[in-house]
Amino acid sequence: MAQQQNTTRTLRVIGGDGPVIDAVERVTGQAKYTGDLELPGMLVARVLRSPHAHARIAGIDTSRAEALPGVKAVVTHKDAAKVPIWGNRQRALNEQVRFAGEAVAAIAAVDEETAAKALPLIDVKYEVLPFVLDPEKALEPGAPQLFADGNLEGQPRVLIRGDVERGLAECDRVIERVYHTPTMWSGSMEPRAAIAQWEGNKLTVWASTQAPCRVQTNLTGQFNLPDSQVRVIASYVGGGFGTKSAAHVDETIAALLSRKARRPVKLQYSREEEILDSNTRFETRVYVKVGVKRDMTLHAMDVKAYINQGAYHVRLGGLGNQATHIYRIPHLRTVQYRVHTNVPNTGPTRGVGDPQETFAIDSALDEMAVEMGWDPVEFRLKNVKRNGDPIARGGSGAEDGRLVAQVTDRCLEEGAARIDWSRRSTLPGGGQTGPRARGLGVAVTERGNGGGLAGASVTVNLDGSVVVFYASTDIGTGSRTTLSMIAAETLGVPLASVRAVAGDTEVAPYDGGSYGNRTLYSTGRAVEAAARDCLDDILATAAPMLKASPAEVELGDAVVRVKADASRSLPLRDVMQRRGRSVVGDGSVTQSQAETNVERAAGAHFVEVEVDRETGKIRILRYVSAHDVGQPINVTVVENQIEGGTIQGLALTQAEELRFDARDGRCLNASFLDLKPPTMLDFDARRIEPIVIANIGEQGPYGAKGLGENPCHAGMAAVANAVYNAVGIRLRRVPFTRAEVLRALAEQRPASSRTA
Amino acid sequence: MADEDRDHSDLSVTRRAFLKGGALATGALSSTLIPTPADAQLPVATESDPRRSVVEMTVNGVAYRKEVPNRTTLLQFLREHLTLTGAKMGCDRAQCGACTVVVNGRNVYSCTTLAVEATGAEVLTIEGLAKGDALHPIQQAFIQHSGFQCGFCTSGQIMTTKAFLDRVPRPTEDEARRAMSGNLCRCAAYKRILESVMTASRLMQA
Repeated sequence: MAQQQNTTRTLRVIGGDGPVIDAVERVTGQAKYTGDLELPGMLVARVLRSPHAHARIAGIDTSRAEALPGVKAVVTHKDAAKVPIWGNRQRALNEQVRFAGEAVAAIAAVDEETAAKALPLIDVKYEVLPFVLDPEKALEPGAPQLFADGNLEGQPRVLIRGDVERGLAECDRVIERVYHTPTMWSGSMEPRAAIAQWEGNKLTVWASTQAPCRVQTNLTGQFNLPDSQVRVIASYVGGGFGTKSAAHVDETIAALLSRKARRPVKLQYSREEEILDSNTRFETRVYVKVGVKRDMTLHAMDVKAYINQGAYHVRLGGLGNQATHIYRIPHLRTVQYRVHTNVPNTGPTRGVGDPQETFAIDSALDEMAVEMGWDPVEFRLKNVKRNGDPIARGGSGAEDGRLVAQVTDRCLEEGAARIDWSRRSTLPGGGQTGPRARGLGVAVTERGNGGGLAGASVTVNLDGSVVVFYASTDIGTGSRTTLSMIAAETLGVPLASVRAVAGDTEVAPYDGGSYGNRTLYSTGRAVEAAARDCLDDILATAAPMLKASPAEVELGDAVVRVKADASRSLPLRDVMQRRGRSVVGDGSVTQSQAETNVERAAGAHFVEVEVDRETGKIRILRYVSAHDVGQPINVTVVENQIEGGTIQGLALTQAEELRFDARDGRCLNASFLDLKPPTMLDFDARRIEPIVIANIGEQGPYGAKGLGENPCHAGMAAVANAVYNAVGIRLRRVPFTRAEVLRALAEQRPASSRTA
Repeated sequence: MADEDRDHSDLSVTRRAFLKGGALATGALSSTLIPTPADAQLPVATESDPRRSVVEMTVNGVAYRKEVPNRTTLLQFLREHLTLTGAKMGCDRAQCGACTVVVNGRNVYSCTTLAVEATGAEVLTIEGLAKGDALHPIQQAFIQHSGFQCGFCTSGQIMTTKAFLDRVPRPTEDEARRAMSGNLCRCAAYKRILESVMTASRLMQA
């Protein structure tokens, strides 16, 4: 096993820090993102979108649009295959539209102005249908139905362990609460973009995606082509955060237009389109019953959640049942209703349902600690899972695995020490008078690592330089760098001699993509395997040149030497030149739930807030994010991820809610101005302190763990808990706007003083 | 992309018909100092067309003269006419700053500045910041502190920094935070962006 070999060798490249290897491209404007590319004869596409939240297209006449000079192709649902987009129920263009903003038709024209002018020339007759936005109302009898089989997606997702009714009855104290998170924007700076080009029956799509192979799989299905005829390229991607983690309608629409126009087509979403027609973070309403025993043990938990999947949902989402992985809970039941409504598409977004779940569970645990007069950190330490504890491997409640390399306790202890938790007042407000009060809060998080099929190949050229090919992407997480570091470490060459080619399905083996903490963890394993494959080949080639056996030689600093006699050596370059053929290494790994040992990545967040009772403003004074990252591959990349993810988690506390007009179901704030993603002034990023816990894992490359998702999880719960500690109000609905804070403060006052 | 395609307007049908009539040979009136293949298809002068204007500006030290539709934004002009794609379209509504360039020493959102407004101006984009292989101190500082993740907003961040530090060479951190607050970074590398700005200030003094 690779792991054992690693521990016997000093790491030369891995564990370092410093800038990513493509930093110069990114600070000089040389990095080309999809929208920057131009092809000869390329057309510009625009999409006509439904103004109705729910409607059937009774008729569609494109003749006037097609007659406009400069229009080269128009496509509607009649042109789209009757095949859903991969992992979804939505087709590229649908006869029944299910949210305001859904694509109805698309135009390719010689320029943007022509395309825009042609859009209103498409005559669409809508048969407007009743709509529903609320997930619970969507399940009521007589609710508007989005799909023939109803609004409930499949069966409720149920997880049962022990006997929750009996467990609750056995508890000394049970509390019951409801927590609500709304539909939220979760996109990136680069709006969706796709360029399609056909050469005969060969389709090439440049896409801003996290998962080129998933896009490829979708396009092969849409156009009935073999994998060999579809190439998807995602070189530089301007962020993803999950919203680009699967195929989407835009790539297929671009390909449909391009096929019809017989010219390359670029489809670039506007910001408004990106907000409406990408994936949003799904709304959750979580009903929690928590029961404890007097000895501080968590004994039973009963969770019922409504997941507002919107019109369509990429793959099956919902809460990740994190609580079952973090805490020892003998009696547990979670029931999730995944409901379709007429709000826009939802899908995986950073942390998927984990931030929403953490908000509910870790708020409820805080409420319980307050009720019982327990210290929230002590209460968690008493109940978090430890190394060797049983843990569920799959989606069922059965704890058939064994937890390894788990350090939730250490994250809690180190975080508490850093923020000086002992100074926390046990009474809300702690006797603070005046308009402003400070408080401390904590929340725990964790997530699994990667998984599924990952692939990579490594080529060692005749001059000894190295290229890593992988078909997942670098969406800003530094994977070009970290994967190159893994190749350099494994081969024994300097990082400077390695280059990585990311996100091209034609030159790299299948890989699921960059999402779910998996690029480093899973693709990284594939790179390690591919590099090892190369190394074996190189050593076998070099050994006879050094009159030794392959087992007697080693490669380090780009020189092959005889281990017992360093004077017998050959530079890698000479070995390769004498060999006269490139070395090609292949690595494909599948990480599955068959492993009995389960390793996950824990984290604990601590925050100190100051609440202004007069304005309702919540200020973040300090924020400590302690994360188990396994073996850090590049410490700078790790800290950058923790800092950025923490702010994204904080962003959920203050803004980014998508609001809808109850009268027509349209989104009211599909712009940056109205969504208010945080600027540099909204949170003082200097106050975020990452704690990197280098806890070497068992199954990732060199013991690394995934990290991309986790830092975003705990912000909502940690801040809500700190606000309670500061002023004694419990925020159970995000975002925590000033109005919401003031309303809660007003309710907190006795009725007499309110009327006074 | 041929300008004939991009610069479509109400009158363009007529223009195209005119071109087809064999007037291509006269199509040099809307000249440009950097010829591109696209220019071969430029129509004859349309001085009588009120929807079009000739803009002249210096971009990264090079003087350009191009005839464009009046509605052309500076961002479109840079990206589509000059193929300088470093400035990005993040919102097209002056709400994110990814399109920031420096015009006559001021950082502006090029998505909501018309190209005709920049006539006669000195424009600096990310492509013009380095001197050959020598990166500008601001670029060096952004690399040193890893002041980015995905890089999509980075050109804008750097150009805002350039205009700011030229104006305020030794800012306090709070001044820098205010100056940078018109540039969104969704990856939220804000701490590192701030460090980059402060280090750049020191490097530029040196």
